[in-house]
Amino acid sequence: MNIYKVNNNKFKSIYISYNFTQEVNDTKIFSSYAVLASLMAKSSKSYPTQKDIEKYLNSLYGANFDVNIEKLGDLYNLEFRIEFVNKKFIPSKEELLEKILLFLKEMIYNPAQWTQDVFKREKDFILQRINERKDEKLKYGIQRAEELLCKDEPFGTYLYGEEDVVKNLSLKDIKDAYSTLINDSITVIVSGNLDGYDSIDSEIEKIFKQYDKNFNTNIENLKYNIKRQENYKYEEVKEIQDTTQSVLSLGLRIKECTPKDFYVLNVYNAILGTTPSSKLFQNVREKESLAYTVRSRYYRFKDIIVIYAGINKENYKKALDVIKIQLEDIKNGNITDIEFKSARDSLLADLIEWKDSKVAMAKMKLSNLIAFKDADISIDQMREEIKNVKIEDVINISKKIEVEKVFLLGGEIDE
Amino acid sequence: MNKIAVMNSQELGESTFTTTLSDGLEVYICKKTGFSKKIGMFGTKYGSVDNDFIDITTNKRTKVPDGIAHFLEHKLFEKEGANALDLFSKMGVSSNAYTSFDQTVYFFETSEKFDESIAMLVKLIKEPYFTDENVQKEQGIIGQEISMYDDDPNFMVYFNALRAMYNQNPVRIDIAGTIESISHITKELLYTCYNTFYSPQNMFFIVVGDVDVEHTINLIEENLKKYENNNLPKNKIEKFRVKEEKKIAQKEIVQKMDIYLPQLCLGYKLDLVNGKEILKNEIVVNIISDMYFSKQSDFFEKEYNLGKVNDSIDMIYEGSDSFSHVIISTLSTNIDEVEKDILEYIEKIKNMPVDEEMFEIIKKKKIGEAILSSDNLNVSYRRIIDSILNKTDVYDQIEVLKSITKEDIKEFLNKLTTDNQVSSKIISK
Repeated sequence: MNIYKVNNNKFKSIYISYNFTQEVNDTKIFSSYAVLASLMAKSSKSYPTQKDIEKYLNSLYGANFDVNIEKLGDLYNLEFRIEFVNKKFIPSKEELLEKILLFLKEMIYNPAQWTQDVFKREKDFILQRINERKDEKLKYGIQRAEELLCKDEPFGTYLYGEEDVVKNLSLKDIKDAYSTLINDSITVIVSGNLDGYDSIDSEIEKIFKQYDKNFNTNIENLKYNIKRQENYKYEEVKEIQDTTQSVLSLGLRIKECTPKDFYVLNVYNAILGTTPSSKLFQNVREKESLAYTVRSRYYRFKDIIVIYAGINKENYKKALDVIKIQLEDIKNGNITDIEFKSARDSLLADLIEWKDSKVAMAKMKLSNLIAFKDADISIDQMREEIKNVKIEDVINISKKIEVEKVFLLGGEIDE
Repeated sequence: MNKIAVMNSQELGESTFTTTLSDGLEVYICKKTGFSKKIGMFGTKYGSVDNDFIDITTNKRTKVPDGIAHFLEHKLFEKEGANALDLFSKMGVSSNAYTSFDQTVYFFETSEKFDESIAMLVKLIKEPYFTDENVQKEQGIIGQEISMYDDDPNFMVYFNALRAMYNQNPVRIDIAGTIESISHITKELLYTCYNTFYSPQNMFFIVVGDVDVEHTINLIEENLKKYENNNLPKNKIEKFRVKEEKKIAQKEIVQKMDIYLPQLCLGYKLDLVNGKEILKNEIVVNIISDMYFSKQSDFFEKEYNLGKVNDSIDMIYEGSDSFSHVIISTLSTNIDEVEKDILEYIEKIKNMPVDEEMFEIIKKKKIGEAILSSDNLNVSYRRIIDSILNKTDVYDQIEVLKSITKEDIKEFLNKLTTDNQVSSKIISK
């Protein structure tokens, strides 16, 4: 079992993240794991209902517990996480650590005997998640661009799975998923104020020792980026929805890059569309008044970028043109020193600010472990790498970036 | 030298320093040792509900178009030949602003450019630059912002609940206005609002982070000194508030949208209270929400097991000097039944004894929650803004929490009556 610690005494609490990470051989697991995670968050043998869990957590000074599912590129990660107050700050100085660890162990390794009723209820819970996804237009527009880019790759599956698969799940499928889960690679990250908790790792090891066996694979060896090149072609897709505003999203592919390009791609993305000085904000919003929201997002694990904007559907063609001009502009080397510097400085500032969040620090460790095979890279080292990026590096990488998918969500277009 | 007062919270291990500058501006500095990020905020006690007032420069009563406070927020970022968002961004600093019913607040977040950011924030507020051209440009951008809210069921269900509760009160009006109303905004009207509400005695400056208190106060003062000569008249601000009757405007508002999952917002319109009573109501409702509607409650468990509710049932209190209400919100595919269940349940719990054990556990949780939340800088500034607007002390929260009794819970529940209750629903088309 790998345990990583991030200590900072400015916090008053401790956050423990217990991750099971696996490769996805069959996208059906999105459906079964979503139901499994939902069941595990709400029951165990000793705490059979949500009510029992909440009541116990409240008695531990409002400790926060939940089960989170996420895609880390093409990997699937199921995370048990808990946050609790460091004893120094509790009026009675009550020690919570052992209770917290035993609770975590109970929730992970002592699952309830799920009845058909309970199982059906959680299936319905996940089905609703799947059906309601279009209710958040902007988010849905972004997800559709991701899915178009990563068709037939695990990352291109919706996090909560597919309606037909969920409907046909049996209780046995969930039990099988659980048996696979507990053999997945485990990574534990502890982040927060560890003052007075010098031996927290050995306490975790002691309590979880019996589950620390030969795992299927080590997290560093997992393949997080699968490429189905037959899908790499230009496409425009429209979906009709009866809304006031339309959402335009563009899927960009970054060809031939390596994990080390992470830094230059971050700078590229910041110049393109993450700050008010960025090309998209300055042109699509400020100059042309086409949008209130316009941004770009870089996906470290998948070598893709998604641009999204909320627009008036009559402006579809114009907005698309203005966005494409910005991409060309960067390729042609039209990046001013100020644009470059402000992009870089905003990234440097973001990195420092991660230090103020227990959760962000834990996430960074896990991401670096997967992509760089190294969890010990510090924020300062990452900042140095960003500082070393040159304008020419950005121009060079921009030539490997192409718009591949265009998605429009909204009313009908008169063409 | 300015006289600096300090407020401490033993429980949160946090201190806030405060002073009033010679021009009347109130400054609050919350010291957060060890944190990298520093947040600076410059705000005015002026928001979307202040649409009828005496223009401070002409002394004439003026009514302004809906959405102008928010429009002014956008336009204040405009500087001659540049945009302040962009100027901050060029320093690697992120900045933004928001407008609500009773406040407009501008802020930055930085780790390394603190002094420069304070200077820029002062410039942002003190150098308005409105032109016909830049006003027109903003109408397109804000138009898209309004369209975004129009498509957001979360936002619509909440605003419809306010519209159902209030007859005349300007909280009924969308904060951003409508595409029609903002078309009447001119640069002259923007200056009128600016001159009236952006004078130092109506504003506040907040800093949260690991900063030197005296240095920060001096820095703010020095930067403000550059604008000494263009300080605005210090007449007392006179606002006209429509008299809001006690009774609700409309029992129910139902709106159709292209969505899958319907949303419900129940509102209870209450009598206005002020100061510490607002804070007390907030905490009492928080406890009620935890005891009777959270995942720890029998009610939630029942609704969940019946498949009526998926995520949560949330109950909050919102109060100011012009409104006071409770909002209960949830999502469900079976919204009418959930509504019926909640209303029946509220009648039932009014007559039930308050569970002693549960009440104590929830209070324990609330203390833990306050400590956990102090790991987040945003919580510190929200606490300060609430204390400014409610005229309470920054750290009254825990003291009020400790003082709350089971009788307070009972008493509050009895204020939730059928007469003052409204429903807002967003259903699928």
